[in-house]
Amino acid sequence: MPGFKFSNRTAEEREKLFINLYKNAFPTVARYVSKMGGTFDEAKDIFQDTLVIYYEKSVECSVELKTNEKTYLLGIAKHLWLKQYRDSSKLIPLNDLDIESEETTQASDKKVLSFLQTAGKKCMDLLRSFYYDGVQLSDAAELFGFSGVRSATVQKYKCLEKVRETVKQKAMTYEDFVD
Amino acid sequence: MIETEQIEAHLMQRSEPGDQLVFEARLLLEPELHEKMQWQQEAYRMVKLYGRDQLKQEIEAVHQKMFAQNEHLSFSQKIRRLFTNR
Repeated sequence: MPGFKFSNRTAEEREKLFINLYKNAFPTVARYVSKMGGTFDEAKDIFQDTLVIYYEKSVECSVELKTNEKTYLLGIAKHLWLKQYRDSSKLIPLNDLDIESEETTQASDKKVLSFLQTAGKKCMDLLRSFYYDGVQLSDAAELFGFSGVRSATVQKYKCLEKVRETVKQKAMTYEDFVD
Repeated sequence: MIETEQIEAHLMQRSEPGDQLVFEARLLLEPELHEKMQWQQEAYRMVKLYGRDQLKQEIEAVHQKMFAQNEHLSFSQKIRRLFTNR
């Protein structure tokens, strides 16, 4: 499927995308993991991490993929398998290894995240849409019910300032604990 | 808000060359601005972690749908056979 382009603005659209990717690519990835002696759960973990990478790369580059995504996904999955299961590293549960090492979720991150989730889910969802899903301002304005691009922009920065302040406050609190 | 916007433009390398220079000079002169910029960077990192966390949950929900519902029975059987017939 050259030039396959998906819409990822809403949870429903993403669900459709992932169901399609599961149907198209999971059999191939599972066959590979099985051949390498892995289990069903390992195939599942590898495939889910593969989907996250695929998703983030697509958003980051905002390019249409030229290759058929089955081949591309299998390539990522093989890379992950070899990286994570080579040698005796089988003892390390997959979930403890993050996709990019510099972005490993620390215990303190988890605390801040869970605080942000409960105290400001609306803001986090808006920011996720802009920065993580790469949704256009005009689309986000519509999705989140703003009157226009301008008010969506204002809200985006207000939320960002709120998160910035929270992150700062929390970091200081944790520093106190460490000291 | 303008300042937050400027910090973002700077971090994402979207400022005009002239604005870029002015901003860099301000960073040197205003430690509070520099500090704000660092926290803002941390805020983006948190948003990314949040996004990734949510996305993983969405993917897991799809997995459950594919393997726990009869709708996709032939698909799930096909996959499971790969791991049982060895």
